[in-house]
Amino acid sequence: MIKKEYIRSVLDIFASSPFKPLGMHASKGGEAVRKLNEAVIAYCDGNAQRVEELSQEIDVIEHEADVLKQTIRSELSSSIMLPVHASDLLDFLKPQDSISDVAQEVSYWFTLREFNASDEVRQSLLDLMDKVLETVEVYEELVSTISELLEASFSKRDVEETLSLVIKVEEMEHQVDVAEKELMRKVFQQEDNIGGTGVYHLARLVDGIGDIADKAEHAADRLRTMVIRR
Amino acid sequence: MDILDPTVILLIFAGLYMAWNIGANDLANSMGTSVGSGALSIKQVIIIAGVFEFAGAIFFGKRVTSTIAKGIVPIDSINLIDPHLVAIGMLAAILAAGFWITLATFYNLPVSTTHSIVGAVLGFGLIAAFQGIIGYGDINWFILAKIVVSWLVSPLLGAAIAFIIFSLIRYFILQKAYDPYNIEKKFVFLQILTACYIAFAHGSNDVANAVGPIYAGLSSLNLVGESIPIWVMLVGGIGMVIGLGTWGYRVIETIGTKITELTPTRGFSAEFATASVVVFHSYSSLPISTTHTLVGSVIGVGLAGGLAAVDLSVIGKIVVSWVITVPVAALTSALIFLGLIGVGL
Repeated sequence: MIKKEYIRSVLDIFASSPFKPLGMHASKGGEAVRKLNEAVIAYCDGNAQRVEELSQEIDVIEHEADVLKQTIRSELSSSIMLPVHASDLLDFLKPQDSISDVAQEVSYWFTLREFNASDEVRQSLLDLMDKVLETVEVYEELVSTISELLEASFSKRDVEETLSLVIKVEEMEHQVDVAEKELMRKVFQQEDNIGGTGVYHLARLVDGIGDIADKAEHAADRLRTMVIRR
Repeated sequence: MDILDPTVILLIFAGLYMAWNIGANDLANSMGTSVGSGALSIKQVIIIAGVFEFAGAIFFGKRVTSTIAKGIVPIDSINLIDPHLVAIGMLAAILAAGFWITLATFYNLPVSTTHSIVGAVLGFGLIAAFQGIIGYGDINWFILAKIVVSWLVSPLLGAAIAFIIFSLIRYFILQKAYDPYNIEKKFVFLQILTACYIAFAHGSNDVANAVGPIYAGLSSLNLVGESIPIWVMLVGGIGMVIGLGTWGYRVIETIGTKITELTPTRGFSAEFATASVVVFHSYSSLPISTTHTLVGSVIGVGLAGGLAAVDLSVIGKIVVSWVITVPVAALTSALIFLGLIGVGL
């Protein structure tokens, strides 16, 4: 039970800041992708049990991210005044939430079938995952700059720093796209070797991993809108 | 009639209770922001608040006290009929306001002590008019209108000044600095000064809510002269400091731990704006709510982009509390007055 305070106070004017849980939510996405990276390594090593474990861990992280997302949304009633537009904040939260969603889905697909393609495909898959992880980590850094933006009340220099990170995420996502296309071609060349099902499975994985970077890029883009349109 | 008259003693005790309430709650509210921003410890805040609240009440509290005592209800005309009526009316007013404030505190409503006492004193005036002791036209409606307008203007003024101050800090200091966290450290000192300032301002305006009716009663009974004696102001000052020391520290603690958003630059802007608006009103003899002005100032900082999240639904609650407080306090005061007359006090 909450202890009743006998006061008439100004406290109600201070709403809880959505930016703190927003940062935590971004970290959940990063955490999920780091686990996924481990899962890809385990998958390529043929360690199915480890892949299964990691997939379950990602499920938990994704759920935690959902809870944070719901908290942020439920606390943003129409009477709350933020230094940015609340609708922009919610628009940005959505793709950020997709990062852990997609990581969860991909990790599930890893548990469905073992790896039996060529070493070249294996290496490219690991490289692609590396690039995606790197993109998401830059994205996390980007989100962490929000607290500095708030502290200096959106100073020009801090805004520029944030925007430069947005551009960095976009560039990295582009590199992921290039790598993804190249790998997809290699996957389809494996048809004789691993069969149609094998190709389909790998194509789903490649597509899913690439999609994570897409979501990060989309969220970064929304974040830019939020910062600029404030 | 002497100072040991039961009406006088009751009046002084009721005034002390009112002062206690003001110190326990309203003063604590204004000071909580300093603790919230980490500028001062609770102990330091209590010492500063005690000293400056007291100083504000003693040296700058007389104008508003006169308004509450003589500005709204023409106590001099009532005096001509029966001086005792004024003392009883003022006792009724202070009891009504104290009762309403206690109820509001219990239910956590953002009710202002100022609004309560103004409503209660008005209630006394209206019942006197109703009974034909004075005419309705004798109540000073012009001053009352000025007071009500000042209740609307003071939070807006607080918001505007806080907006300007924080925008200047933001533009000239925060955005030019390489390390905004370091700036916050430098503002800690300034915030200590504004904590003194706000306590002084609060004392100068809110002491009247407790001692205005005491002074009116004493003056009609010819126990004090034309100017307000220092000991009457002391009663108010001491009452408020005791309220802060016995209960207010808990309110400060609660507020301080929950307000972490208000960093020193933000706290400075809000407090400086609030204190300036309140001192200005004390100078203009107008009783206003420090707490509501502070809410306005915090919104001003929020509008300037200084706060992560501000809940504007408080504005609605405050408006409702105004609209309810004045009639409720007036009615209660009138009823208590009739009751006191009835028991033959």
